Amino acid sequence: MERIHSLYLHVPFCTWVCKYCDFNAYAVLEGLIPPYVEALSREVAVAAAELPIGPLETVFIGGGTPSLLTGAQVRKVMDGVRAIGLAPSAEVTLEANPSNVTGQAVEGWLGAGINRLSVGVQSLQPDALRFLERLHSGTDAIAAIRTARSGGFANVSADLLYGVPGVSLDAWLDTLESVLDEGVQHLSAYELTVESGTRLGQEVRTGLVQMPGADDQLEQYWAAAARLETAGYRHYEISNWAQPGFPCRHNLSAWNYQPYLGVGAGAHSMFRLDDGSTERRWKVKGPHAYIKQVSAGGHAVDGDETLSPERARGEAAMIGVRLLDGTSSTRDFPEQRHDLVGAGLLLENAGQVRLTRRGVELANQVGAAFLVEAASAEQGKR
Amino acid sequence: MSTPTKLTRAISVIAHVDHGKTTLSDRLLEYTGTVAQRDMVEQVLDQLDLERERGITIKAQAVRMLYKADDGNTYQINLIDTPGHVDFSYEVSRALAACDGAILVVDASQGIEAQTLANVHQALDHHLKIVPVVNKIDLPQANPELVREEIEKVIGLPAESVIFASARQGIGTKEILEAVVREVPPPTGDPDAPLQALIFDAKFDAYRGVVTYIRVLEGTLRKGMRIQMMQTGKSFEVDEVGIFRPDRTPVEDLSAGEVGYLIANIRNVRDSRVGDTVTDEARPAAAPLPGYRHVTPMVFAGLFPTDTEQYQQLKEALEKLQLNDAALVYEPETSAALGFGFRCGFLGLLHMEIVQERLEREFNLTLLGTAPTVEYRVKLRTGEEIPVDNPDHLPNPSEIEAISEPMVLATIVVPSTYVGNMMELSQERRGQFLNMEYEPGDRVVITYRMPLAEIIHDYYDQLKSRSKGYASLDYELVGFEEADLVKLDVLVAGSPVDALSMIVDRSKAQQQGRRLAEKLKTLIPRQLFEVPIQAAIGGKVVARETVPAMRKDVTAKCYGGDVTRKRKLLEKQKEGKKRLKRVGNVEIPQEAFMAVLSLD
Repeated sequence: MERIHSLYLHVPFCTWVCKYCDFNAYAVLEGLIPPYVEALSREVAVAAAELPIGPLETVFIGGGTPSLLTGAQVRKVMDGVRAIGLAPSAEVTLEANPSNVTGQAVEGWLGAGINRLSVGVQSLQPDALRFLERLHSGTDAIAAIRTARSGGFANVSADLLYGVPGVSLDAWLDTLESVLDEGVQHLSAYELTVESGTRLGQEVRTGLVQMPGADDQLEQYWAAAARLETAGYRHYEISNWAQPGFPCRHNLSAWNYQPYLGVGAGAHSMFRLDDGSTERRWKVKGPHAYIKQVSAGGHAVDGDETLSPERARGEAAMIGVRLLDGTSSTRDFPEQRHDLVGAGLLLENAGQVRLTRRGVELANQVGAAFLVEAASAEQGKR
Repeated sequence: MSTPTKLTRAISVIAHVDHGKTTLSDRLLEYTGTVAQRDMVEQVLDQLDLERERGITIKAQAVRMLYKADDGNTYQINLIDTPGHVDFSYEVSRALAACDGAILVVDASQGIEAQTLANVHQALDHHLKIVPVVNKIDLPQANPELVREEIEKVIGLPAESVIFASARQGIGTKEILEAVVREVPPPTGDPDAPLQALIFDAKFDAYRGVVTYIRVLEGTLRKGMRIQMMQTGKSFEVDEVGIFRPDRTPVEDLSAGEVGYLIANIRNVRDSRVGDTVTDEARPAAAPLPGYRHVTPMVFAGLFPTDTEQYQQLKEALEKLQLNDAALVYEPETSAALGFGFRCGFLGLLHMEIVQERLEREFNLTLLGTAPTVEYRVKLRTGEEIPVDNPDHLPNPSEIEAISEPMVLATIVVPSTYVGNMMELSQERRGQFLNMEYEPGDRVVITYRMPLAEIIHDYYDQLKSRSKGYASLDYELVGFEEADLVKLDVLVAGSPVDALSMIVDRSKAQQQGRRLAEKLKTLIPRQLFEVPIQAAIGGKVVARETVPAMRKDVTAKCYGGDVTRKRKLLEKQKEGKKRLKRVGNVEIPQEAFMAVLSLD
């Protein structure tokens, strides 16, 4: 198995689960945080003993709302991580809800070894925040970024949502502008996506909410992309922009098809096996069950799948093409690549490809083309 | 153990589709102990999985039952279950010809319908004694008294002869059996006369070859006998004769009046044609039995494998299916759009669906079927007349003197409220009104002469929807008639798609073209680029629509668990695309090729 240098830790607790969210997150279970932190630490220790892992180059504590953890709790988790081995230059990210970013909290996180903060701003428009059921205001969000920076975080990212019903192009660009004014090193802008099984999904299905059309969504997307480029941010992944030297190394490694260990309720791991196949494994989703199984000495594994080397290459290409600085992940699919270049979706240069503007808009079609090719390569081999 | 001829009966059960024919047959088998209740798979007689699923009978079945009647005698009752769909009306007529009586089943809530009438007329043509049964009397909406009255008034059978039954609950079973032995006459044939046995069905058994279903009308059929098929002239030696109880049970001989089967190393059902007469080669009958007809297909469609590599498999599958289906014909066809496939001829739309479904299910093929058409007769200026069963093969208009199309006599039975709707629909479909009769029970029987092509284009579904489901339809072919027809071509992304061509009435061509283009626009999924759709008559574009290019297909997030989810989603989408046929650059779904069937 290829050695693992990336670790993801999931914290599934939230004060409120926003209506569009389909992550593994639970409100009103904060009482479980202390035993959950115990379980996380225990799982990290077990994994360290069983897997070829470390030194860690990247650590990402995501959620849910990891900023609900106290400084001491984060420190406890990080102590376990350090026991695996943490590279001196490692990137260690914590996702934070603006409501939780106080001077004291920032001090605690920095002290625990966090060196990158990803703030869930989402929007600065009052109507949008209300629609999205965010409990903080736009002012809170800006204050959170300032607190993080003045408190000592030199690498701050902001998450934004566009394509929110009722938010005009101008209003969206206003939000973007204000966030850029804060000088964040990194920015993720996600299209508000309607997931079935969320309350937003139900509202859209019943006609209560109408989502903007594809043209409007793309208009906001490309307008943001243009603005960010002017501001000196590099568009390195479909939904991610960074100042030079500040792309999210953790995510970049996953998109480059490097293995990672996921720890915590519902967390996914990806392992690369020696024969070129990929194993994906995921943990039980419910925090109660997770805590119970881990405390009992179990692995709390909910499921896994192994992809043949052929299909793994297809998956690598599907993910890899999302990297807009170019990727060599499609190297095994020259014919598909040629077709997609012909269709105007890909640009090719010395074996490296990247999506065209139209290719970005149809990235799933491009990814699917490689998956299909990989599936038939697998069949052909059988 | 042979039964004296006077204690032998041969009957059929006839009914409109869904009136409970098969369930009633099952009860008779159960009541006579032919099949033990515990062995009773629901609906024993429908043997194909497809038949059971669809609740229809495709192949005829025959079973011998022994019934000890109230008069103390044990009767041999041969029950022949007939196909229940207008596509198979010739098979039905041969099955009826093999009987002396018929149990007529009428649904207690639906009453008499078009097929009921058609079946009764056929039964009367064959001089069958009819035992009328009102079935499903246990249903809350049943009105058995009214239906009984209807039977007397419409069909002319005395009300007091009508038996009330519920096949589901087993009510009336004994009464029906008693009526059969009392009313249906015994066979009149002479066991010592030269052999005349009527073939009413045949099926292919992979181990034994063709199993031929027969009724011996004159003489005696014995194992080892050298027989001759009087229509095809082919001779065979009989390996086995037997009866169905309901499984095949060999016997020494079958004599006049008896129903059973013969196996004679026949390798193809074509050599055992329904309606043909089996005779003794050494002592042949003077003449074959009347009523033989060489069954010819009525509708034609192309079948193409979506995966071109399955062509050979499709060919072999058709060969195998044909062994068991004498009505299926096919020949290789090449379509510029769809590649290599077969032009197949069917008895009707149901037959077509069944064949396609069996090919896919039993032979694991993924097929694309083109819209069915009828066979036109085209008179060329040279004086030559050619059949055209593929719109794309219609000669250039300048070479055509005249085109004739097959016509049918359509009988519609409908409550009077919907007469207006039925007439409107039939006029739209180029129907020529022939007759209308008011029957008791608020029923109207309307007859039209209309092109078969109109019938196969969604007519039946329209009939049903415009009568809230009350109308029923029966039709028979009555010849060919000249018509002013033109070919409508379809161009997708600028290239003609031969498989979408259709032949239409000139006066409606433009309108049809517009509707077809509109319909295709909704059926062809958005592609990576814009796809224009054009309908053209003789090179002149009469309609144009555009499928806009796919605007956006991108997932915002691709982290951890998103990857597995996204990959599965994309794989599933691609799986769904298997039914799409790539024509040039455009992926066209199966439904698009059927669009011409429903342009209203």
